[in-house]
Amino acid sequence: MPFVHQIIPYSSLSVVGLGKNTGKTECLRYIIKRLSEKQKTIAVTSIGIDGESIDRVTATPKPEIHLEKGMYFTTVGAYYLQKRFTAEICHVEENATVLGKMLTARALEQGQLVIAGPTDTLSLQRWVTNTLQRFPVDICLVDGAVSRLSPASPAVTQSMVLATGAAYSAHLKTLVDKTRFVYDILQLPVASQTVKKSLEHITKGIHIVKEDGTVENVGIDSALTSAQIRKVVALGAERLYIPGMLGNALLQAFMEQKGAEDMCLYIKDFSHIFAEPRTFYAFLRKGGQIRQLRKVNLLAVCVNPVSPRGYHMRSEELVESMEQALGVPVYDIKKIEA
Amino acid sequence: MIFSSVAQRIDGLQYLADKMELSGSRVRRYLLQTPFTYRAETLEKQFDDIEKAVRILDKHVHAPNVLKLSHLFSSIHDIKGTLDGLKTSRVLDEIELFEIKHFASLCRDIRIVCEALDFMENAPACLQEVFDLLDPDETGTSGFYLYDSYSPALAKARKDASLAKAEENTKLWQEATERVLTEELRVRETLSGTLSGMHNLLRNNFDRLAYLEIVFAKAALAKQYGMVRPRVVPLKGAGGTDAALSVKDMVNPVLSDVLATEDGAFQPVSITLEKGPCLLTGANMSGKTVVLKTLALTQALTQFAFFVPAREAVIPLVKDVFLVLGDKQDQNRGLSSFAAEMLELNEIMGVIKKGVPVLVLVDEPARTTNPAEGAAILCATVAFMEEHATRSLISTHYGDLDVQVRKLRVVGFEGEKATGVLDPSAINRYMNYSLIEDKGHAVPKEALQIARLLGVDASFIALAQQFLKKDDDETIKTGT
Repeated sequence: MPFVHQIIPYSSLSVVGLGKNTGKTECLRYIIKRLSEKQKTIAVTSIGIDGESIDRVTATPKPEIHLEKGMYFTTVGAYYLQKRFTAEICHVEENATVLGKMLTARALEQGQLVIAGPTDTLSLQRWVTNTLQRFPVDICLVDGAVSRLSPASPAVTQSMVLATGAAYSAHLKTLVDKTRFVYDILQLPVASQTVKKSLEHITKGIHIVKEDGTVENVGIDSALTSAQIRKVVALGAERLYIPGMLGNALLQAFMEQKGAEDMCLYIKDFSHIFAEPRTFYAFLRKGGQIRQLRKVNLLAVCVNPVSPRGYHMRSEELVESMEQALGVPVYDIKKIEA
Repeated sequence: MIFSSVAQRIDGLQYLADKMELSGSRVRRYLLQTPFTYRAETLEKQFDDIEKAVRILDKHVHAPNVLKLSHLFSSIHDIKGTLDGLKTSRVLDEIELFEIKHFASLCRDIRIVCEALDFMENAPACLQEVFDLLDPDETGTSGFYLYDSYSPALAKARKDASLAKAEENTKLWQEATERVLTEELRVRETLSGTLSGMHNLLRNNFDRLAYLEIVFAKAALAKQYGMVRPRVVPLKGAGGTDAALSVKDMVNPVLSDVLATEDGAFQPVSITLEKGPCLLTGANMSGKTVVLKTLALTQALTQFAFFVPAREAVIPLVKDVFLVLGDKQDQNRGLSSFAAEMLELNEIMGVIKKGVPVLVLVDEPARTTNPAEGAAILCATVAFMEEHATRSLISTHYGDLDVQVRKLRVVGFEGEKATGVLDPSAINRYMNYSLIEDKGHAVPKEALQIARLLGVDASFIALAQQFLKKDDDETIKTGT
């Protein structure tokens, strides 16, 4: 039973798909099934309406999530009332969304339901904390939005599973490269304990990190506009903490300046990088470093060799090339289940 | 007349409402809809409750239960929509039924805390009957679903659906789940019908809980601002009571908060007002407007059943409080400040003529027109209030008036020796805001002195002095 035993030590896990039809739903279904067999009590929710409740292109609702008996799930009232199985309402939130109040219920039998929970990182974080506190739950699962990595931020869930597949890219090498890029960002090394301690509580403003671990606020809020970027680069600092967003333009500017090989950039976690693969790798190749304060535990990568447009990749070939490129276990969920 | 409408015309009410720690919009709505009460018994009952709540908050031993109570208050959901639904016999959905059960269980918990605090007279009624209806399996927990035990037909339909699912018989499963939905609807109809019958009980509890929370919030506010229970004098007949209004060491909470941030303190003011009019005179910057505003606030707070910011207060009840500040010009309607003020006074006099007992507080009426007619209008206002025996306080700068009326004067500026230029807050320190009886006809003339201390150009002040009539000259204390 691949990788399920790895989940057990954690109290929260997110499943993120790199694109539509990359098998995220199957992957979640597999995890739920196996964890239930291990007598674990699970709570699940999914990124809400802002995420992908309705596919804006095809207007199809997001897929239903398979629920095992005894599982807790958090969704909005409008979806809850459409269920075709028995469940007990355990908690209702005070504030209503456009789709009714958000509630948490326990499935009294197996069933399927559209799940739409909290919409932003902060409320997801709160959901994980509250759920673990209120109910006898072993693990909280977050069904992440497609191509939005923030729910998998270590600030929300401790561990993650990545789903990728033919639908993301039909060309084997491109698919592997694209996945490799996400993987490399996820696996950026963690900052030293000393640096981590001095930066952890800083949420705003760019800071210079000095040799002895002390920090200095340079009085620049973020580095997004070109004027801000010029100012930040002009600092000429070797070690910088960027608590907000590390954008492509900033990374490009660092990469192009002299002394990039001695640079070390600190970020909160992977979800704060928004860079093109080319810029990202060029910076690293020059010797620059990017370190994160917190790193998510990537437990596995799941692949779906089938694209809805009818393209099939050979499962073994895909799994093998992916494993070679990433160096972590890669699974074809459909194969395992069969 | 409700709190939110009065708060629009009496300064400070909204400020204090915002200072109250309430758990949510449900309670805030209830507060804003509190009626302006002129029944003494109703107010006394509420004052009793606040007094008791203050005693509870004062005792350290009660702290854990008070904390628990505020936690329970914030767990109550706004189920007004559901309760309205019950009133119109709408069929509730599963989530609404859960909310009712959750509400019933919270009422039970709050009763337990009220008992520990010996505050049962304001506890919500016991909703055991409601809880039992929604807990047929006697689990005792607040979770809810449409239990099998509500209906054998529902139980059977669910069993069939489950069997069909296991056998992967889609057609049978669909047929059975349809039956489940039908039976669930039937159960919801029955439950909603029964709960409809208990609508009043639920509604009363919903209101009582808001009331209870507001009582504690008012008590906390009273502690924060050192407020006291006012002694109210009931309305007698149509003309109102003859007793005097008397407030000792009255404080304006808004200003006192502002001054506290500047390391200053509000000088408390005492005042007694008999029936009929009273003039209020005083130098510029001597706080006449503040006295009027604070008095209006004190009267309004009393009649919304709040404690008042003073050391002692005897408040004869009235049916309305009018505060006319003369700042209501409305250029959009083509009204000058004079016109707006006259129309407002006219409206108030209309009310008074009908014999409605009210308190009227007017800040410098007719100050924006020529002094001759202005003084005439002021005298007429005083005469009108006299004729109708309306308790009123009217501030003015006009002297030598042709009316016999009681006068109060703000002691005023005591910094005769002050020289140089002072900033406004320094002038405040030289000001004695106490009120004294004034038997004379003249009004304090300290305008030029104050202007000088504010740093207004000396040659300009000298110029102004030349324009003063000679006999007036002697009364001016220029301090130079």
